Amino acid sequence: MKSDLIDIQVESRGNDVEISLSGSLGAVQLSQVKEKLNMLVEGPGCFFFLNLQNAHFTSDRYLDVFLELLNRVKAQKSALILIFDSSELYDYFSRYLNIFEVYENRNAYKKSGTKKQLQQIGLHFGLRSGITVSSGVAVALISLLLGWIITLFVIISSQGHDLSDKQAQIIALQNQKERYIKEIDKLESSIGPLRKLGVVQDTTRLSSFGLIQDWVSYLEYLENARREK
Amino acid sequence: MKPSLSFILQLPPSTAYAKLEAVVENLVSGVVKMLDSEHVRFSLYMDGPTLEVAGQVARTQVNNKLRPAIEKGALEILGGGYYDPMLPLFPTELSSMQIEKHGKLLWKQFGIEPIGYFNSSMVWEMEMTNLLERHRFEYALVQEASLQDALGRTTPVSGWYSIEDKGSFMRVVPVSQKLSDAIANDDFRWEQIAEPYCRGGKTAVVALDVPPQPGDIIPFFERLIDFVETNELTTKTVAEVVAEQNSEGRLSFLLSSGLKIGLPRAAKTCRELLVRRPEVNLLHKMLSSLYHRASATLKGRDRDEFFEMLLPAMSPIYYRDMQDSEGMRTPMVRWWGARFLLQAANRLTELVSFDGIRLDIADFMLQGGKCIWAENHSYSFLLDYMGGGILHILNAKDSENNLLNAWRDDGNPSVGFLDFVLPNTELKAERVDQLLSDREGELSAPYDYQIKRHDAGTDITLLSEQKDTIAGHQYSLLVEKTFGLSSTGSEFSVSYKVKNQRAECSKGFFGTLLDTGLLACGFTGKDIVVDGQPLKFNFRDSLIFPDASCFEITDYTTSSKIELTFKQKASLLIAPIFGASALAAPEALQGVRVFPFWKMSLAADAEEEFGLSVRISKR
Repeated sequence: MKSDLIDIQVESRGNDVEISLSGSLGAVQLSQVKEKLNMLVEGPGCFFFLNLQNAHFTSDRYLDVFLELLNRVKAQKSALILIFDSSELYDYFSRYLNIFEVYENRNAYKKSGTKKQLQQIGLHFGLRSGITVSSGVAVALISLLLGWIITLFVIISSQGHDLSDKQAQIIALQNQKERYIKEIDKLESSIGPLRKLGVVQDTTRLSSFGLIQDWVSYLEYLENARREK
Repeated sequence: MKPSLSFILQLPPSTAYAKLEAVVENLVSGVVKMLDSEHVRFSLYMDGPTLEVAGQVARTQVNNKLRPAIEKGALEILGGGYYDPMLPLFPTELSSMQIEKHGKLLWKQFGIEPIGYFNSSMVWEMEMTNLLERHRFEYALVQEASLQDALGRTTPVSGWYSIEDKGSFMRVVPVSQKLSDAIANDDFRWEQIAEPYCRGGKTAVVALDVPPQPGDIIPFFERLIDFVETNELTTKTVAEVVAEQNSEGRLSFLLSSGLKIGLPRAAKTCRELLVRRPEVNLLHKMLSSLYHRASATLKGRDRDEFFEMLLPAMSPIYYRDMQDSEGMRTPMVRWWGARFLLQAANRLTELVSFDGIRLDIADFMLQGGKCIWAENHSYSFLLDYMGGGILHILNAKDSENNLLNAWRDDGNPSVGFLDFVLPNTELKAERVDQLLSDREGELSAPYDYQIKRHDAGTDITLLSEQKDTIAGHQYSLLVEKTFGLSSTGSEFSVSYKVKNQRAECSKGFFGTLLDTGLLACGFTGKDIVVDGQPLKFNFRDSLIFPDASCFEITDYTTSSKIELTFKQKASLLIAPIFGASALAAPEALQGVRVFPFWKMSLAADAEEEFGLSVRISKR
């Protein structure tokens, strides 16, 4: 079957789908090519690259097929990009070069503009998720998001400062405590012989107010002290 | 008058490369012995790997003995392909690379540019004239039989003839097979055989294979020296023969199907192998497909580096219908060939940054019909939808192996997912195996295909009406067969919807066949596992396992594993695939046949569904 002599290659990678047609395409294969292309652009894919570099057209009716395909792809909010760099194909598509996007390869398209591609991805996933936003709302949403992110960042950084201050205070107090302990030890060791001789009474060993937790205990302490005297 | 002979010595490319160092060391020592005897002048052909090893293990002898002998003209080193390929089988660019690579190595090792072209398979087609002329060869060695064919005579042919094609010119020198065989086999009538070749002072060209076993090499050279000395022979290099003698005439056409490649005498060209042996053809087509894809996508250094990876897969060992590690009848040889190509395919995937699903609907087999080549990151397969929706190739990318590379002696290709309807009678394992071998009840009508892309992957749906008569019962089934490819995983599904189109009930067994080339030979006792339990399979007798849910087979030699999980419990036939051995008895294990099948009972217009998923991994 002559219509079956067309070579088709499909390569799906994430958002990209590259369909390559090769061989001599005439009126006989037209309906087959149309059917196959329509079949292949159904399903996921944001960028459809139609590689025609190795195709040779012997009928101008394929232009209508590609225009229909473009409409079909656009209805899916996807993009159709033609891939070729031969003068023969430029001549063939000359009437519609302002309609079709033509690049010499996929990388050339990828390098042609990030904004345009992001917009395309937005449109495509908008359709797939059912959520569509105008550009004004999108800008407002992005600003809001950015505002939130900046606020969050400021809060986190100020808390970070506070935490580091507190940390420094704790370290300073710990150092001070250690110093005091050392000084007390030194003092205790210096009065140790005097205490042994009974010259100095160790008041720190006496009952202290520190053990008194309430007024009743305090009054009992005063009464006991009075009676001892 | 004693005959004048020109000896060509060559190491056949079937040499076990594991012992190549010892082989080359002895080869060079033998050559040195010949040169030291000062009675023998001869020509020598060494393929690329042999030359590389010679440069490593016998550098001193090469520099001190071989180089001066070449300068004196006592030794001639012949050129050819790096892996000694049969050039007419391959794209000209790859053939050129083979010759260039070999030539560069000769320049590096011996400081010479060869003028004589030698190919151990001795194939010749007219296009080679231009190719060899471009590489500055002055003469090529060809089979005497092909010259006899071209001249229309049966008497011995010696000397050299001229040939031209599209403005290119080449001298062709016939190698006398009869005389070569007589000398190699110590036939005492050799002198009688040599006489007509040497009539009129001409020199007969004799090609001798150096034995591939290291221990046999030195005695071979000693016998040859003894032979020359005892018979007081005059010996010359082929270059001397060409230089001294005048042309014997002109040839308008020359074609040679080659020697020692497993083709019958009636074959006219080495391409006959591609027609006769599907295994050779598939390997060849995989190579061609990789070459064409790389030509279209790669440039510069990447392209050269990639083509370099294809060169080992052009070795003649992969294009011979021979056994005992000399050709594709040996499972290990098929595996080596597939491994080289899959290494190249994996490299190509890296170079083009492929990561997804690729479907290529093209005439992969170059036979005028389309097939679908499907590929994801972990497997690739060739689906012949016009031939019954069957797989011819199932490549596991990680383990670098084609899982369907069994060998069938009847010349039919090994298949994956060839569907059968078997009669509704009690069938023993041997009978089922026989029906499958004879392809009785196969559903091989052409399918139409549809491709459905979705988020999880891509489905290839095949639709066809399959009609036949099995055991006197007619059936007409509408079969929808879907291969579901996953874009991320290493598995794919095969599902069936079978609808009875007849007014009567259709009963029987529906199943699908895989001729795996896996060489699980009972090394561990866990090579074949059904429902998690090792299966006691003796690799001699076929068996049927009832109600299996899951089946796996592991090949510890090639590190390949295939798992089948059935959606409905299936009966499972497991049978060995045997091929003829060197003794011509069908006793060489060539693979394992797996046939899951289900009971089918379809009333008029009723439909049943069957399915399985296939997981391919490295063990």
